[in-house]
Amino acid sequence: MNNLLTFSFGVLLTLVVSWLAFIVGARSQFGNLEPTAEVLEENGSIPTGAELFPKSMPGIARQGAEEYVKLGCISCHTQQVRLAEAGFDVERKWGKRPSVARDYVLQENVLLGNTRIGPDLANVGLRGFSDEWLHRHLFDPQATVPGSICSPSPFLYEVKDEATNGTIEVHDHAGDHNGHHESDKSRHIAPTLRAQKIVAYLQALGQNYELPEMAFVEIKEDDHGEHHSDANASAVALPKWLSDQITSGKEIYMKAAPGGGMCFTCHQPTGLGLAKQFPPLAGSEWVLGDKPTLIKIAMFGLMGPIKVKGVDYTLAMPPPGIPPGSLTDQQIADVLTYIRNDWGNSASSVSPDEVAAVRSSVKGRAPMQMWTAQELKGDSK
Amino acid sequence: MSDSNESLIDKSARLVVSFFLASAGLWLLVAAGLAYVVAAKSTDPTFLGSCEFLTYGKVKAAQTNAFVYGWASNAVFAVSIWLLARLGQAEVRGRFYLIVAGAVWNLAITLGLGGILAGHMTSSDLMEMPVVVWPALLVSYFVIAAMIVVLHRSRINRETYVTQWFVLASFLWFPALFLVAWQGLELNPGRGTVQSVVSMWYSQNVIWLWITPIALGSAYYLIPKILGRPIEKYYLAIFGFWCIAFLAPWSGLHHLEGGPFPMWIPAIGTVMSIAMVFPIAVASTNFHATAFKDIGKVWNNLPLRFVIFGTISYTISSYIGIIFSLPAVAKITQFSIINEFHFNQRVYGFFSMIIFGVVYYMLPRITGNKTNEKAASFHFWTSAFGVMALLLAYLIGGLTHGVLSQQPELAWAESVISAVKPYFLISEFAFIILGVSQLVFVVNVWRSIGCPISFCCSKLSDNSGKVGQS
Repeated sequence: MNNLLTFSFGVLLTLVVSWLAFIVGARSQFGNLEPTAEVLEENGSIPTGAELFPKSMPGIARQGAEEYVKLGCISCHTQQVRLAEAGFDVERKWGKRPSVARDYVLQENVLLGNTRIGPDLANVGLRGFSDEWLHRHLFDPQATVPGSICSPSPFLYEVKDEATNGTIEVHDHAGDHNGHHESDKSRHIAPTLRAQKIVAYLQALGQNYELPEMAFVEIKEDDHGEHHSDANASAVALPKWLSDQITSGKEIYMKAAPGGGMCFTCHQPTGLGLAKQFPPLAGSEWVLGDKPTLIKIAMFGLMGPIKVKGVDYTLAMPPPGIPPGSLTDQQIADVLTYIRNDWGNSASSVSPDEVAAVRSSVKGRAPMQMWTAQELKGDSK
Repeated sequence: MSDSNESLIDKSARLVVSFFLASAGLWLLVAAGLAYVVAAKSTDPTFLGSCEFLTYGKVKAAQTNAFVYGWASNAVFAVSIWLLARLGQAEVRGRFYLIVAGAVWNLAITLGLGGILAGHMTSSDLMEMPVVVWPALLVSYFVIAAMIVVLHRSRINRETYVTQWFVLASFLWFPALFLVAWQGLELNPGRGTVQSVVSMWYSQNVIWLWITPIALGSAYYLIPKILGRPIEKYYLAIFGFWCIAFLAPWSGLHHLEGGPFPMWIPAIGTVMSIAMVFPIAVASTNFHATAFKDIGKVWNNLPLRFVIFGTISYTISSYIGIIFSLPAVAKITQFSIINEFHFNQRVYGFFSMIIFGVVYYMLPRITGNKTNEKAASFHFWTSAFGVMALLLAYLIGGLTHGVLSQQPELAWAESVISAVKPYFLISEFAFIILGVSQLVFVVNVWRSIGCPISFCCSKLSDNSGKVGQS
């Protein structure tokens, strides 16, 4: 490469080709998109008088976008609902349809982001959060969303002791380290103009319209979806203690952290298990049948061959809980009540007393000694 | 080339290389401090929570910028000048311009990081520094690049080596990337998601075409130099170079998978990303076939141990990167903290480790002051351990994050994020270890360079004497 000029030409050419393809190509293909109607005429023209989408944001929301950029919110939040083949964003209810290039043409700051430590915000304005809730969340995210690791922004608010016009009451959350705030004492926050801009921006985010290139996606209400709504519908009619037990049980079922049972990892959130590997809980005679047997399995786990709904499985199910076998009587009662009452199952609840009774009956059994199906059948007879 | 000749050339590079290395060290410490704050905020969001200048997003942006433009770029300048001077057997000229331009570059980054923390950041990856400092960065860069070209053209040894290809190419690529990003984000911003394409194109390429080639070039120089044997299958090296030149600018766009773009953009990105197996295999073959001929020497020679750690890390993590570009896998990992894995493996596990090795080899020869061997060995082991802990935490944490976020039934903060929290804690510890490790490194470097004030005075008078002679 003794000729530096030729060399430079060569290496820059490689870059220019990629620039032409991606950036010049992108500009000419979708850099001039305009708002359009939800449905076009047959000849492709916009029907006269039709409402055009996307709409531009109000001025205060545009200013809010600038504040959003300055605080660096983009480092944890995306604003894009991916295509169905690229992820379960629509199923997660992050949008009614995947986002398309046209959704962003009127935004000065296109804040797609590339990391989701926080939830996607492309449709946050459609989720029914009140302005007040969003202000409380910005002021102290952990108070509104337990477990959130969002940076708090108290500097966007003036804290007052007395409620005045336009202030919002906030309660200190349980995990507050400061200590000097008593839990029953409430404070009042007055949002600054910046906070109001940000909230206006968040409320303006939403892709609540169809476009000729992208219609709303109908989520297939398959197995779990349906059963969820069933459980919710019946929960309304249940006595409070029972619905509390089911709610708490579901949490344990779905939780993969200390205090949870991590049941969903094998039996799936659908309760259907996995063919040939993990037996279903929905409609299972073991779940709906003899309660002491079920409690024993929940305490010690189960291993070896077992027949569920006429199908043979070979199991090595450790005692549920993290660490294994650590669930309390109340937790076992809750999670068993839950699995006996979801996915179409409907059976009597399990009380902590019944669990305690079983626990004393198996006193002396080594903590990690899993049952076999044979052993359990012999016991219950 | 004779030893006396080499040492003469090293001496001519002393002032400039020392200046850039000392600045790079300072930025490395700044970046390490900010990295700790970022990690601590991930485990406890109330840490420094009420301070407006230190929100998570701001500190995160400041940290990546301090790392890439502060530490990495200053190190690139130092190492490139030394490599070109050595390979071309030319003395470093235009020292005054280099120092002034370097000072402007560092000043611009200081202002830029201050601007980010004060609330003037932009939203594009690795272009977060406020727009007002971009001209200063570009102008000072052009002066340094011009001196690099002058240095190369004044070479006495007319034969060229692949290291020079990598160094010169990266100095041509960087301003081209920067100008395209400037044009596409600020001067004539694209409408809608075109901005995001420009931003992704820049942020991926600045890693692949600006700092990666320098680290590869350094490895191509140092491995045969220390082992005293030529690179195995050297004829492949130029092929590898052109593969990177043709493929890398296309491959980064696979990160846009599934987003609001036409499908051809991520699809081409994925195809080109898969094709990157060729340059990765070439570099890996060149480095490791040579190094494993005399692995005992590699193990016992500290600079070489750093370099080989870097090249192995490059090989492994680049292959992992290819796997994560496949749509079926990207679906799971796309928006997870795997992104942190990608960034850190490239700038830490690969680039920084190789540069550390170069510095330990180069510095004693330039300054005539030995570096402390015990401190250097401590630096190697803590860095190696810290980097591996960090990368594993982000890799496993990223997979957990990705897999759980693909289960729509799981509550976001309570289930998905709480499952990732332990990995943030590991990364926090890793950053503490790395911070200590880098402090040892930087103090070692500064001591070898000498006290800045007495050093500058003596060097400037020394310098004027030399100018008088010639």
